[in-house]
Amino acid sequence: MRTTSLALLAVAITATASVTAAVTPGPASDTRASMPSDLSVTVYRSPNRAAGSIDLDALGGFALISETRTVHLPAGVSRLRFEGVADGIEPASAIVTGLGAAVIEKNREGKLLSPSALLEAAVGKPVTLLRTDQRTGKSSRVIGTIVSDAEGGVMFETAAGVEALRCSGLPESLSFSAATDLAATPTLSALVQSSQPMTETVTLSYLARGFDWAADYSATVSADGKTMDLGAWVTLANGNGAGFAQARTQVVAGRVNRESGEVEPIDVGGPILAQCWPRGSTSDPPSYLQRQRAFPEADAGAALETMIVGAARLVAPAPMALRALAKKVEQEQLGDLKLYRVPERTTVASRQSKQVRLLDREGIPVTTVYDADMPAGGDGYSRPARRLLRTLNNSANHLGLPLPSGHIAVFAIHRGETLLEHESGIRDLAVAEELEINMGESPDVRVESTRLDDVTHVNITNARAVSIEFELRLQLPAGGRVVGADHPQGIKDGRPIFRLTIPADETLTLQYRTEHMTAQLRRANCIARAPPW
Amino acid sequence: MAARFFVIGCVLGLLGEASAIAADRTLSVTIYNNDLALVQDRRDIDVKGGRQRIEFQDVSAQIRPETVSLTAADVGIVEQNFDFDLLTPSKMMEKAVGHEVTIVRVNPASGAETREQAEVLATNAGVVLKIGQHIEVLRDDGLPVRVIFDKVPDNLRARPTLSVTVIGARAGTRPATLSYLTPGLGWKADYVALYNESDSKIDVQGWVTLTNSSGVTYDDARTLLVAGSPTEVQGEGYGGDSRQPNYYRRQAARPTLQQAGTMSGSRERLGDYYLYPIAERTTIANLQTKQVSFLDVAGVPAEHGYEFRNAWLGTADAPQSAKSIYSFSTSAHAGLGDQLPAGILRFYLRDKRGDPQFIGESRIDHTPMGSTLSLATGDAFDVKVRAVVDKRTRLGNSHWQSDMRYELSNALPRPVSVKLIQDGLWGDSRITAESIKSTRRSAEAAEWAVTVPANGNASLTASFDTRF
Repeated sequence: MRTTSLALLAVAITATASVTAAVTPGPASDTRASMPSDLSVTVYRSPNRAAGSIDLDALGGFALISETRTVHLPAGVSRLRFEGVADGIEPASAIVTGLGAAVIEKNREGKLLSPSALLEAAVGKPVTLLRTDQRTGKSSRVIGTIVSDAEGGVMFETAAGVEALRCSGLPESLSFSAATDLAATPTLSALVQSSQPMTETVTLSYLARGFDWAADYSATVSADGKTMDLGAWVTLANGNGAGFAQARTQVVAGRVNRESGEVEPIDVGGPILAQCWPRGSTSDPPSYLQRQRAFPEADAGAALETMIVGAARLVAPAPMALRALAKKVEQEQLGDLKLYRVPERTTVASRQSKQVRLLDREGIPVTTVYDADMPAGGDGYSRPARRLLRTLNNSANHLGLPLPSGHIAVFAIHRGETLLEHESGIRDLAVAEELEINMGESPDVRVESTRLDDVTHVNITNARAVSIEFELRLQLPAGGRVVGADHPQGIKDGRPIFRLTIPADETLTLQYRTEHMTAQLRRANCIARAPPW
Repeated sequence: MAARFFVIGCVLGLLGEASAIAADRTLSVTIYNNDLALVQDRRDIDVKGGRQRIEFQDVSAQIRPETVSLTAADVGIVEQNFDFDLLTPSKMMEKAVGHEVTIVRVNPASGAETREQAEVLATNAGVVLKIGQHIEVLRDDGLPVRVIFDKVPDNLRARPTLSVTVIGARAGTRPATLSYLTPGLGWKADYVALYNESDSKIDVQGWVTLTNSSGVTYDDARTLLVAGSPTEVQGEGYGGDSRQPNYYRRQAARPTLQQAGTMSGSRERLGDYYLYPIAERTTIANLQTKQVSFLDVAGVPAEHGYEFRNAWLGTADAPQSAKSIYSFSTSAHAGLGDQLPAGILRFYLRDKRGDPQFIGESRIDHTPMGSTLSLATGDAFDVKVRAVVDKRTRLGNSHWQSDMRYELSNALPRPVSVKLIQDGLWGDSRITAESIKSTRRSAEAAEWAVTVPANGNASLTASFDTRF
């Protein structure tokens, strides 16, 4: 027991670096939990993103982190410190389980050890001022008191009088004698009471911000366009300063409810600024020029952006041999959510994005459909049609598994080479739902609509060498309806739809007649006449 | 060592007429829900007799000075001041305008120091000094010059400081109580609920979470938490306030309290507010988040279901997820058996390995004992609803018939029941036809209980007759 506490003390001294280890005031003795022996990280998606990739610059998701740590508690009241928790911790969510002793309270200190924190703690206390003669290198020490550190300026007082720090042009520095009990990294502590000394294995769980994940799909459409192969990665990222080595890693799909609970910020402190009085001189140029608005330089953010384009957005389909080798995540049901378990322990390092294989399916039958969705009776309306790849998410189509939302890149084989065709997003799809991949606008298929009185003419032109399936959906105003058309009309989701086949290199003309509010209104007015006053 | 003593003596001298910072200090802090706290600070003050200024340091940096009151025996208050002019080098120089300072020129080659007396003339964009008969700009040549001030002006301080000028009827040390209101201290409740799928029970732990961003540390304070907001917060919009009637709230705000309770518990009260005293004195450090347990119940029956609320004429091309709902009671029998202060309830569920995983959170309002709570944890991946307006027929002036169809799908291997709510039926709207019998929750909403078979679909149609 004695050797253990000595070892802990040694850790304490190294952790606080140049500052001498201090004993926290108060009756409670300090005890440090060991660093985690087992870690579990479950990453949740940003609740605001329905589809698409993660944004490494703004990771809007979060994670549940569970750390298994060993603690040695003395008898009596002690302050148990968990150091090195994630910087994005939501302190209110922290749970400690497996502790035999009674927890009196849990705390998260919001202040970290920094130059400004040292200075703040030293206000009103004696410090040593170090002045070095630049010519001789000789330094003189003067004992003084810090009178103020307000608004970034430092005033101190010595026997000679009151002076401002670093305003004289001489090299000046402060040397602090009083140490602080501030921690170097975000720390959670629990005040616990134990009747006897004990050694326990406890689990600390908490939610932390600054994580996210998304599925990144890549589909390869066969040369005939009738089938596709679908592969996907789970891309997860950690934007925290803390890393999680050899962690059991899971991701959860489905939207979970999050309240905008405020998290008390951590004060990481700052440098000692030593702001001075105005120091303009007669040789200063007149300030005619207004200071230009500062724009951030192309920095790490841009570099990350480039990296994610390489790593995540354009996930080229993996060769067959590699696909067989890749270890995939295992899916299980978690209440109404889907949990994906990374098969092996992995290190979720700080500021890192990581990819694990989600699925690989081949020979999925797809149909290509062109569609347009326009207001009924549109006049002077002309635009390219949209191309869609459609299939049903069931086992007959070699799918039939939940597809978490994300980003999809569709590739096509052209002369033996794989080329990117289109990129779009996918929302969460349950089994037996229709999977519709947006392939973008097609310049070869255009829709043109003109109206004369109540007859609308729609010209659909097909400049492709094959005949295509086309769907035209109409948006009707309330009470409006299509009263006649020269092609068979259907209804989809309460709206009229025309399902048409357009032969290669041909134009199809569709005519339909609509009845609008006005006609109905005339009839309605005959029935419900206004009272005669 | 002699130098150090001198310095300390000098600092005390700065405080002017008298100082009253005593070691015997008793703090009690009462924290309300709406970012407000009452601080009662009891210290011994040394009354000299006669007129005297007393400075109070270590008061909240966000103190509301108009709420300060000092009470002590045989002491009358002349005035109270809150000085927030902070001591910085430029303020110091500004206050020295018209006064003499000592400048020490340091020769960079030899290190030799030359002392001179100078009068500060101006400090605009640069410091203009009068030395003897010459006018100079301080450090115009960039060479090192130290400026030494004699003393710090009285009203410049490192921190905003509260001072009270009093008249003491008799001299002597006596206790005084300083009380004030301050924002920056707040509390809320945080709940952890672990749902057990096999027997549909939840274990709930409740913690009160204190936060302090008021700028100072309250050492060894007696702490009392009041579940209530005694003052109206100014500038609060309609959006977030759950006390506002329903029509002011956004659609998204789903009522969590299904049935308000009528049980009274054993908790202490203040008027109509519940009190949560913290058993032991505690230190609330600045920027600290502190949690103390107040509730720990296991094995409370809970129900899990699905809910989908459709806005009036809401129609969707893609199916929308139903909400996953957990409901339970706070009554003494088969419930949590306590009043619940407002806060966030986080739900956990064990995964296949038995590890608890987070499945969503929900905010609750102050909830009396005996209530029924129904909380949404998130969207169900596998249970979806697609609402479609099939037809709108005009029957007359502002008189419409709307035919709605709701298609429900369930990709789970077990049947589920979805509570489907059609919102926005105000006025004298009627349901003229429906494929499943509805219950009218209110003039505004109709509700159906739709059972969706395992890995299957269900459909519901309804016709609404509305006059708007």
